[in-house]
Amino acid sequence: MKRIVSALCVLTAVSVFLFAGGSQDSSAKGAVSELPYEGVSLTMAVCAEQYADYLKELGKSFADETGADILVDVIGYVELYQKITQDYASNTKLYDLATVDIMWTGEFEDKGFTMDLTDLMERDADEVNLDDIIPVMWSMGSWNGRQIAFPMAGYANSLIYRKDLFTDPKEMKAFKARYGYDLGAPQTLEALEDIAEFFTRPEQNLYGLVANGARGSAVAQDWMEYMRAYGASLYDEKGNVAVNSPEAKASLEFYVRIFDKYAPPGAIGYWWDDRETAYRTGQAVMQSSWSIARAGYENPEISMVGGKTGMTATPLAEGVDSLYGVGGWGVGINDDIGDVEKEASWAFVKYICGEKMQKEWMLHDGAPIRYSTLNDPGILKEKPWLPVMLNVFENGDGDYRPRGPKANEVQNALGLRVNQAITHELTVDEAIKKMEEDLIAIGE
Amino acid sequence: MRRTLKKHFYKEYIALFLIPLSLYMVVFFLYPVIYNIVISFFDYSLGAEKTFNGGKNYLLMLRDEQFVGSLKTTILYIIYCVASQLFLGILIALLFNIESKIIGFFRTLILLPTVFTPLVVGLLWKALYHPDQGFLTYYMRLIGLNIGRGLLVERHLALLGIVIIDIWEWTPLVAIIVLAGMKSLPKEPYEAGMLDGAGKFALFRHITLPLLKPTLLIALLIRTLDAMKTFDTIFATTNGGPGTATTVANLRIYEVGIQQLHIGYAASMSNVLLVAGVVLGMVFMQVLYSNRGRNK
Repeated sequence: MKRIVSALCVLTAVSVFLFAGGSQDSSAKGAVSELPYEGVSLTMAVCAEQYADYLKELGKSFADETGADILVDVIGYVELYQKITQDYASNTKLYDLATVDIMWTGEFEDKGFTMDLTDLMERDADEVNLDDIIPVMWSMGSWNGRQIAFPMAGYANSLIYRKDLFTDPKEMKAFKARYGYDLGAPQTLEALEDIAEFFTRPEQNLYGLVANGARGSAVAQDWMEYMRAYGASLYDEKGNVAVNSPEAKASLEFYVRIFDKYAPPGAIGYWWDDRETAYRTGQAVMQSSWSIARAGYENPEISMVGGKTGMTATPLAEGVDSLYGVGGWGVGINDDIGDVEKEASWAFVKYICGEKMQKEWMLHDGAPIRYSTLNDPGILKEKPWLPVMLNVFENGDGDYRPRGPKANEVQNALGLRVNQAITHELTVDEAIKKMEEDLIAIGE
Repeated sequence: MRRTLKKHFYKEYIALFLIPLSLYMVVFFLYPVIYNIVISFFDYSLGAEKTFNGGKNYLLMLRDEQFVGSLKTTILYIIYCVASQLFLGILIALLFNIESKIIGFFRTLILLPTVFTPLVVGLLWKALYHPDQGFLTYYMRLIGLNIGRGLLVERHLALLGIVIIDIWEWTPLVAIIVLAGMKSLPKEPYEAGMLDGAGKFALFRHITLPLLKPTLLIALLIRTLDAMKTFDTIFATTNGGPGTATTVANLRIYEVGIQQLHIGYAASMSNVLLVAGVVLGMVFMQVLYSNRGRNK
């Protein structure tokens, strides 16, 4: 009997403790909270790009304003694709939001991974100020008439070069004597190669031009820059495979020459960060790069070339239209999550892609998508290279790399074939032929 | 009476005690294997509908030059790694088969590489091999080794670079297995051999090696199956490059299954590897048991 009485006492005490606590908690919430998304928790998968760190700060300020808890999970490029596609395909709802590479647009739309934002954009058109967004940015997330990601970070492909060496009187004189014209930011690929050759001095550990060589997306994406500069493309206007063209071959020959003659010895194994390191440490004189890295060259903590960097639109082959490479990241909302999370996610998208926060973000390693950011006098003063970016964006092409449902497979195939060419496992002709076969097979 | 009850209890309930382990085996071993076999007969890409395609995946595999090439690379990798590890393992075991405090200390020390995760080992060695700033690259060049642009970026050297990493990590394990085998050898054959005037090499050649055969076979089996599964180190260092120089079968399966999301096709490739592993294991076990039979 004693035991039964003590057990009942304990049960009563536990119940009082539990229910009293629960009731107090819920009443407290109801009384205090005026924040629209109090209690909502969002997880965002973000590519480990320069903009990622400040996105965490934006998440905190959004949380202060709305009550939504934002967890930013920063992941490498390859792993990000794997993680979010597996999450979306298996409906595990691990991520509410994710950064979506421009190249993943078609696949995400085709498989219904992220929600169509068209209606929300129409509903909140005034708030989002769509006209302020540079037109080429819509290629981030736009496919088949649906907008499956909102433009978040625009990248301009451009040529980065050592301004200090280009303006050194000794170098200028020697260059003129050797090539018969003035040393300056190259406008053509011929000039680019001359300058690369001129500055390649292995005995000084100085190399004229560096590019990504590592097998995979790194080498594929860098080669496609040169492919575009030569006026070649993977597909023709009707969507047929067109990679087996004289222009594409010329671009691959040029790309192979970079590694044979002008790049640091290890460039065959370089990913984006290695290539940037080669430039930032002063080992490489030029590189074709994304504008997101530009601000970092002025940061003495990570760069030895502060104040010595010039930026210009990438050189083109003769007769090629001035259409420059544009890339970047949109932000997409997982289509599987609940309505409350979707609404909170959309609010966060508007917040980070809005005029105010885009300007703030730009000052902290962000990447512009809006005219208002690029034309802001205060930002222009701090980042005088923005007009070059605006020129690239206004004359930009977001479709020079594949964006369709099978873009990732295409990229993988190119990543292998280009690497085989630069390592001389295949000749340029063989590599191009294999690329053609691969792309046809992927299309089937 | 009590004994009979006990016996009865065991008979009745023995199956009950096996349920947890059986469940574990079914859920974590049998089900994945069967599921893998089933989906290998489907055209199944993650995020899309599954469609039955008969044995198309297996036929496709035969024409897939990248997969066939990766199998060749895997075989080469296994041969280079396991042969070197056995040879060096025996040498190290002979060296450590002496009782002293210092040797005991080094015996523990050499096991250090085996406790690292292969991915960490890969990242470490990637830095050591870095073509421009790598510590090892610097010294290899200093002593006049012709490593071209770097061990991991030259097509004809990259596999060697990877094999060296595997040797560094796993030779100690082989050495310890062989050493354990040596410690358990009977003393009598050696005494008889010495009485017959056999030298150290003759004792090793005619007594140690034949008696160690079962131990060596176990080390061979463990390392062969392990080398066949290799992925992390190569993923972290070369990602299968330069070109296809270090693309082993597991890396190809990863590319197809995880990067390109063609789960069905990747499943068929991993089934081939599974069958190869099982066959190899059976052959080794057969040799091991026939050897034990002869010894009896």
